[in-house]
This record gives sequence, C-alpha cells and structure tokens, in this order.
Amino acid sequence: MNKLVAGGLAAIALSLLAGTANAESLRVALHGQAGIDAFTPTAERIEKNLGIDVEIVEYPAPDKDYMTKLLTELAAGNGPDLFSIPSAADVADMVAAGYLAPVGAELAAWPEYADFVDVAKQLAVSPDGETYVAPYILGIQQIYFRRDVLEKAGISTEQPKDWADLLARAKEIKEKTGSFGLLFPAGVSWGGGAFDEGFSHLIIGSSTPQLVTDDGKFDLTSQGVRDVFQFYKDLIDADLMPVDPLLGPEPWVIPKYEMFPSGELAATTCGSWCYIFDWGRESRNPIPDVTNVVGTWADPGQNGGEFVLANLGAPWAVNAKAANLELAKKALLEAGSVENQIETAARIGNIPASNAVQRDPRFQALTELVPIQAAANHGTYLKQATGMSVVSEGVARATEALLRKETDAAGAQQILVDHVRQTLGDEAVK
Amino acid sequence: MAFDAFQKRKERQLLWLLLPALVPLLILTIYPALYAVYLSMTNEALTGVAAAKPRFVGAANYLRLFSDGRFWNSLFVTFVFVVGSAIIGQFVLGFISAMALRRKIVGAPVFGAAILLPNAAPEVVAGFMWISMLAGGDHATLSKILVFFGLPYVDWLQTFPLFMVVMVNTWRGIGTAMILLTAGLAAVPAEVYEAARMDGANPRQMFMRITLPLMAPTIFLYMLISTVSTISVFGLVYALTRGGPGNKTEVISVYIYNQSFAAFQIGYGAAGAVVALVVSLALGIAYVRSLKVEV
Repeated sequence: MNKLVAGGLAAIALSLLAGTANAESLRVALHGQAGIDAFTPTAERIEKNLGIDVEIVEYPAPDKDYMTKLLTELAAGNGPDLFSIPSAADVADMVAAGYLAPVGAELAAWPEYADFVDVAKQLAVSPDGETYVAPYILGIQQIYFRRDVLEKAGISTEQPKDWADLLARAKEIKEKTGSFGLLFPAGVSWGGGAFDEGFSHLIIGSSTPQLVTDDGKFDLTSQGVRDVFQFYKDLIDADLMPVDPLLGPEPWVIPKYEMFPSGELAATTCGSWCYIFDWGRESRNPIPDVTNVVGTWADPGQNGGEFVLANLGAPWAVNAKAANLELAKKALLEAGSVENQIETAARIGNIPASNAVQRDPRFQALTELVPIQAAANHGTYLKQATGMSVVSEGVARATEALLRKETDAAGAQQILVDHVRQTLGDEAVK
Repeated sequence: MAFDAFQKRKERQLLWLLLPALVPLLILTIYPALYAVYLSMTNEALTGVAAAKPRFVGAANYLRLFSDGRFWNSLFVTFVFVVGSAIIGQFVLGFISAMALRRKIVGAPVFGAAILLPNAAPEVVAGFMWISMLAGGDHATLSKILVFFGLPYVDWLQTFPLFMVVMVNTWRGIGTAMILLTAGLAAVPAEVYEAARMDGANPRQMFMRITLPLMAPTIFLYMLISTVSTISVFGLVYALTRGGPGNKTEVISVYIYNQSFAAFQIGYGAAGAVVALVVSLALGIAYVRSLKVEV
C-alpha cells in the first residue's frame, strides 16, 4: 500500500516538474484557413527562435464574428497574446479601449522596418501619435472589371474619368450585356466591408475626401458624404448593382464568387487578393487567365482624378494584457518577416509592406502582385480616429436602407449621422 | 407552541432542500438579470472609449430604444414569429400529430419518430441545413426541385424571409408540442369518451366539449413554455438569415445580439434585453394566471 502511495506521489511530482519545465506559450488568434496556413511556418520559426510554444487559435471566419469574439475576450481580460485585426477601421477604437500594447519603439528599433513603404508606416500610426499595430500587409484596392465581357460587347475598357463616366459605363454594360454593371459592397451583412470595400472607394474621390477633421471630429454632414450616397442610390435605382444577394446572410458569396466569374457582374471594387483568393489559383471558382481577363481601374474622383485605395490588411497587434508582453512583442516582429509576408501574399493575395520582397524570387513569381507592390506608395487612405468603427457600422446601416429603397441620399446621410451621434454623442460629429 | 416550533423547523428544512436549486438560480439567472439592468443604464461598449471608461447614462438607452424604429420592428417580427411558429404552426400540427398517434394507425411509431427527428438537430445545424435548401437562388435544393418540374426558381429567403423562418421553426418544434400534447391526451379518461358516445355525441362534439376543455391546462402549459422559449430563439434565425434581408427577420434576440455584439454597444443591447425580459415575464405571468381556469 505504502509503495502504491509513494508511486502515486512520485507520479504527481514528476508531472508537476514536467509542467514547470514546459516552455512558455503564446496564444495567437487568426481567422480563415488561408491565414492559418500562411502563418503556420512562421509559428514554427517563432517556436524555434524564441523557445516557446505557439498555440494558434482559429476564430470564426467572417470578419464580423471574428471581431465579436476577439473584442469579447479582450474586454473580459482573457484575449489572445497576439492577433490580427481584420479591419483597420477598428484599430483606433481598440486603442481607445486600452486593448493594444504600444509597439512603436520596437518597430523603430527593428532594422527590417526601414524597408517598409512609407504609406504602411503612416497607416500604422494612431491618432495619438503612437503605433499600436504592425503594418506587415497592405490592402490595395481598385475597381476590377471583366475585360473580356466589355470587349466582346464593344464597351470601352479605358479608365473612367469621373463618377459620371463610371456610372455611364455601368449603364452601358447593363444595356449591352444584361449584366450588372458595378458593385460597391453595401449593407449590414457585409460588416466592415460596406465601409472598407465600398464607401471608402468613393469618399476619397469626393469633394470632402476625409471623414475626420483636424480636431478629431467626424465630418459626416458634408456634401461629399451625401454625393457618395447619391451615387449608391443611382446605381440601385437603375438596377446596375445586384441588390438581393447583398441583403442575405453572406452577401459576398453570390456576387464575388459566382456572378463575377460567370460574367453576370462585370465590375466590382476589390483588392489585389481578388487576383489570387477570389478568382485566381486559391479560388474555388477560378477565372481562367485571370490577370488578362480581369482588368483594373483606379477609383475615379467625383470630378476627375484617379485614386488607389490603400489600407492596412489585417494588421497585427499585441494584447496590452498579454501574460508576457516582451515575448509577445518579439513574436510580433518575427511575424513581420519577409517570409511570412510572401507566404501571406501567395495564399491570400494581399500586398507585402516591405520593399525587401521585390528582391526575393519567391515574390517575383507572384507576377500579379509585383507591379501593385511597387506602386503601393501611391495609395490614398482615410485618416483614422476613435469612433471609426461606429462610422463604419453607420455606413453599413445607411447603405442597407438604400439597398432596401427605404430612403434617399439625404435620408441615408441622416441615418449615418444619427447612428454616430447616438453612439458617440453629439460632440463627436462636426 | 410545540406546533410553532415544528412549523419553523419544517420551513428551515424546506429552505435547505431548496438551496441546491436556489443558489444556481441566484448566480446564473437572478444576478445576470440584475447586472443586465445595471448595464442598460450605462454606455458600456466592447470597444472605443466607453469600453475603457463606461459611464452612467440613466434612462438614455431606453429613450433611444423606444425611438428606434428598428427596435419596434424587431418586436413586431418577434410577435409574428411566436404566433406563426409556436402558437399556430407547432401547436396545431403538434396537436394533429398527437391525435393521429393516439389512433391505432399503421406506421404510427415511424410517423412519431419522423416528427421528433428535427429536435435532434441543434438550432444552428438546423439553420445551416435549411440554408442549403432555401438560399442561393437557383442553387437552393428546393429551387432545383422547382426547376426540375419546369417551374421558375424562387429565392426563398429573399422573397418570403419571415414565412420561411416561421416554417423552419415550426418544423423544428412540432415534436416537442406533440410529446406534451400526447401526455395531455393520455390523461383524458377513456370513460368520458365512452359516456359521450353512448349519449350520441359526434367526433366534433367530443373534441370541442371533452378533449379541448380537459386539455386546457396542458395547452396553456405548452403555450407558456413555447411562447417564452420561442421569444428567446436565436441560433436558428441567426444561422438562417442573421435577421435579414434588411431587418425583415430580425427577432428581438437577434436585434439584441446585433446591438451588443455587432455594433458593440453592450449597454444599449442590455436595454433591449431588459425589455425582452419584461415582455417574457408579463406573458409568463399572464399564462400562469390563465392556468387557474376552471375546467
């Protein structure tokens, strides 16, 4: 009996010793299988270089659900140590909530950071002047169109000069091909995409191209905002944009993965990822010879000009309450390696922020992305401010009302203003 | 004196016996409900400044809620959803199934099992299963069946969203209704029917004058359970439509979720939850009072 007790105690002692001998662990939150696949080699390198265990936690795939889970855990104080943030519009609010650890000093001291394009560094700086996210990947967005469909119908594929020209082109597509002429993501179901992949394309070329004033308020009552909603309304009223799929639970599936590949939709806003993830080699419904068949236009301005929308693609951040903050920050820098940037680009199609990738043959093989990366510094972007996620939600609600033909441009603008005022207070809106 | 002491001891014993149920009830139900009331009077949020420094806003969330058309729409949608699926759909079909099973018909066990089967699928699984049946225009299974017979396809969740949600919830709940109502039917003494038959009553008269009155307590109990549980249905609707298109299927539970976890306004969402709690309590009390009907 004594032997049995002694044996049991020894087993307990051994297991305790084994437990204390284990390496430190780091919990990393990611969403989507492609992102996990891209990060897995980096996780293995972090484990090797830092002598720690990396636990990759797969969160729900749609961005909105991912953010809900992430924010709930961060609010409860049990969030992951390291995570990516799907929409850059959420960063300022997460900073205000105190969830993100400052990483500006670490990035500045990191030699590789010198190779990053300036626009990425600028996008990473928060309204308070500090940097809380690592800008490893950029989302470079334009309007993508089916060159083959337009050419076959004898429609010009030249860059549209202004909004009126873009609208006329969409009407011509509808008349000559019967296909929908243009899609700007809209509505509540699309989540942050209604703002990031829709509204932003137009507002940057409007008469009031920024939503944030110098004193950090939101300029939402401007003529530019109303004109953007009017553009949506014109598209919807003329039946140039597919509306029904946007009101469903997964609004991107039918237009992006079915209608565009089949030619039923001839033009849509999208990012470089569309050449690889949506319609390219990583797609479930690829378009053959996608880079020739699908062309790009820059976003035309309301009265002329060309804009290429740049934003941070799922920037990485460190939990301010990470169990081992220093370790998490070291892992953050490892995640910014050229290898991980190229791996992400190859699997998802986003643009690496480091110019060092241009010297890497693996990136040179991604011929669709090379010219876009080289031109990334010319991207235009929206200034960020605390409350931007509320503006993003307000835009989703306003465009939803337009999709349902419940309001006009002025009404949509009022929905946006009311939502922001009710949520952030009257003082938040100029 | 001795009797008083006995009574007190008995009361204390009862309290001890109730304690294992009371403690979880206090921790898991009463405390969260009271905390929700507190949250509803703050601007607590999941992100932004309010997440770091929430402040007391009094009744502001309630004032905003009552002036929010989308909130009233969610109450209306919930009313249609509860009446359509729980009170009409599940009850009527459950009652018919229970009556059918009571008769000695061929294949009754298979029929009963088939009706119970949907209960085996969790809400979200059932929701996703029906998405494949209904969503995606000509890609939906039901649409393919229509096309096979030469008919035009229908985008079910876009054209009849609320009706489809009501139908799916009815499909899922008939089994529960059938079990409860079968138990109620079994409790009606066979002698009463025999006496009625001897008096020359026809089946309709027996149903209206014997079955329904004697089933009244069971029916009211079922109504109470199904109404309150249907008000709180979330997973099925969220998986199926997320409250869309627009907010045509945004029942109160989805509205609360959307405000709390999609717009990240926990305080405002809590105000909606408190109102839903009050509505459920009021309905519960009304039903419980109705249970005391004379039969």
